[in-house]
Amino acid sequence: MYRYDEFDAAFVRSRTAQFRDQVARRLAGEISEEQFRPLRLHNGLYLQLHAYMLRVAIPYGVLSARQLEQLARIARKHDRGYGHFTTRTNIQFHWARLEETPDVLDLLADVDMHAIQTSGNCIRNTTTDPYAGVAIDEIEDPRVWAEIIRQWSTVHPEFLFLPRKFKIAITGAAEDRAAILYHDIGMRIVKGKGGETGFAIYVGGGQGRTPYVAEELRSFLPKEQLLSYLEAIMRVYNLHGRRDNLYKSRIKVLVKALGIEEFRRQVEEEWSKIDHVSIDLPQEEYDRIAAYFAPLPLVPGPITDAGVEKRRREDASFDSWVRNNVLPHRVAGHVIVNILLKEPGKVPGDATADQMEAVAALARAYGHDEIRVTYQQNLVLPNVALVDLVKVYDGLVAAGVAVGNYELITDIISCPGLDYCNLANARSIPVALEIAKRFADQSVAEDIGRLRLNVSGCINACGHHHSGNIGILGVDKKGTEHYQITLGGSPGDDAEVGTILGPSFPAEAVPDAIETIVATYRAHRREGEVFLATYRRIGQAPFKEALYGAPNSGASSRKQLQEA
Amino acid sequence: MPNIITANLLRTGDVVYFAGLNNWVREIGDATVAKDKDELSELEKTAQRDVESQRVISVYAMDVELVDGRPEPRSVRERIRAALGPSV
Ligand code: SF4
Repeated sequence: MYRYDEFDAAFVRSRTAQFRDQVARRLAGEISEEQFRPLRLHNGLYLQLHAYMLRVAIPYGVLSARQLEQLARIARKHDRGYGHFTTRTNIQFHWARLEETPDVLDLLADVDMHAIQTSGNCIRNTTTDPYAGVAIDEIEDPRVWAEIIRQWSTVHPEFLFLPRKFKIAITGAAEDRAAILYHDIGMRIVKGKGGETGFAIYVGGGQGRTPYVAEELRSFLPKEQLLSYLEAIMRVYNLHGRRDNLYKSRIKVLVKALGIEEFRRQVEEEWSKIDHVSIDLPQEEYDRIAAYFAPLPLVPGPITDAGVEKRRREDASFDSWVRNNVLPHRVAGHVIVNILLKEPGKVPGDATADQMEAVAALARAYGHDEIRVTYQQNLVLPNVALVDLVKVYDGLVAAGVAVGNYELITDIISCPGLDYCNLANARSIPVALEIAKRFADQSVAEDIGRLRLNVSGCINACGHHHSGNIGILGVDKKGTEHYQITLGGSPGDDAEVGTILGPSFPAEAVPDAIETIVATYRAHRREGEVFLATYRRIGQAPFKEALYGAPNSGASSRKQLQEA
Repeated sequence: MPNIITANLLRTGDVVYFAGLNNWVREIGDATVAKDKDELSELEKTAQRDVESQRVISVYAMDVELVDGRPEPRSVRERIRAALGPSV
C-alpha cells in the first residue's frame, strides 16, 4: 500500500502544527468561534449533538494493521473506546475533545493519516471497490488511480472552495461494488477497442434531497489523460455550479440544468484549452505510485482445505459465515474475508478499540497487513490463505465480529441519526437495531437472501436510503419521529433511486412494516429471485396493498398502526 | 412557555445547561428556568457573558416542561442531548 513520501509527511506535520496553534489561540480567546469554525472544519472537527466529532480520512478505505491499531489507541485514549466507520469509508470519533484534538492529529500523522478534507466544499475521500487488487472480475487495480486522485485533489488550490462538497468513486471490476453511479463523478476502468485500458466517466449522481443516478459523460477516456479531464469537469462545475442556493449547489443539479450534452460540450471545450502536459501524470510518476500497489507474491494453493471443510460440517455458524462472508480471491487457495460490524444489538459500523486491535492482529498474522473499509460500514481482510481461514474465524469470534450476514437483510447500512447528529430529524440506529432483531434468525435471513436495507436520519441521506432495496428515511412529523419507506433502490450497475411507498410510519410501526414488505416478497418470489428482482417484476402495488390496505378499502392498516 | 439555556463547553464539547454566571451544569434539572420573555432575555444577557469569556459555544434557549418545578426537555432531540449520550 501507499506510504507517504517526505513531502506528504512534512505537509501533514505542518498542518497539524498549524491546527495546534489555532486551537491554542481559540482556547486563549484570541479568535472567536466564528473565526475558528471554518478552521476546525478544515481539520474534520465538527460540533455534533453531544460533543465534537472528528472525522478521519481513510483514503479509498485502505488501512494497514499499524494504522488500525493507532485508530484503536485514539478511540481508547481520546474517545469513548470506539469509532464509527462511515459510508464514505472514513472513521468518526464521536466524543472528541477540542483541547485534545491536536494530540490526536499528531497520533494520526505518526501513521500517515489525517482529517483534512473530510469536511467542507472540497473533494472528499475517493472511494473504491473494497476488493480492489484481489477481485476475480477486475480489469485493473483502481487503488492506483484512487491514490493519484488523492494526491491531485489534496489541497488543490483551485478546488478547495467549490460550490459544494464533491465525491468521486472508482471501480476497476466488472461488478460495481463502489456505487459509482451515486457519485458526483463515477469512474469505471474499461478496455478500449485496441485492448488498452481507460475510463468510462459518469457525472451528476448523488443522494440527498434530489437523488440522481449519474449519466455517462464519456464512454472511453485514455487513462493517461485522466487528471486533465477531471480538471476540466471541476472547472466547469466550479464556474457554473450554484453558490446562491445550497439545495442546488451540487454538480448533479448543474448537469440536469444544462443537460448532459451541453455539459459534455462545455467540459470538452474546457479540456481543449487545458495544458495537458502540465497536469497529466508522467509515466514515471504513474509507475512510481503503481509500484506501491503491486500484487502480493502469493503462492497459489489448493482451492479446498480439509480443515475448513471439517469445521463447516461440524459448526453451522462457521458454515454460514463462510457461505456468506467469504469470497473467492484472484489467487487460488486464497480468499477475501468480509468482517461485518453488524452483530445483533450492535450499532452498524461501530467498532470498539479491542475489536480494531483484534482485526489488526489478524491482518498482521494472516492478512498480509492489509484491511479495507467498505461503504457498507464493514471491514475486509482482502488476502487470507484458505489454510488460515479457521484461525481467522476463531479470532473474529473472540472479538465479537464473526456474524455471517454479509449482504443479507441484517447487514444494514445506517447513519448515526439523531443519537449523534446535529442535522437529524429522527434516530436511525434504534430502527436499524429493531429490524435486525426481527430477522436475527440466520436461517430466515438467509432464506430472504440478498437484500440491501438502508436507514438515514434525514434527507442528507448519509445512510444511502435512496439506493437501498428497502430505504428508510427519518422525518419529523409534528415533533415525533416518523419514517418514510422507499422500495426498489439499487447502488450497483443497475442503479436506481427507490420510490416512496406511501405515508410515513411512526417509529414503533417500522419493524412491522418491514416484516410485511419482506413477507410480501416471499409470497411472490419465484425460485432463486432476489428481493429487487421480485420488486421489479411485480411493482409497488402488492407491497402498497399489504402495507396500506387495498386502494379505497377504507381500512388502512397504517391508520390502525398509528392509532395503536 | 418556560425556557432554559443550553450550550456546549468550548474545551470539551460537553452538553451543558446554564445555572448562573460561570456556572454551567450537566444535569438539565439543575438549570435556571426563565418563566417568561423578560426573564429569558435577562438570562440570555448573563449567559452571553460566558460566551464572551470563551467558556461555551452553540448557545441557545430551549422550551422545557416543569415537572415538580424542575425543567425537563420537550423535543426528542433535547431529550437525547439531556441524556448526555445516545439512546442505544
Ligand atoms: S443522514 Fe442526516 S441524520 Fe444521518 S448522519 Fe447524515 S446528516 Fe446526520
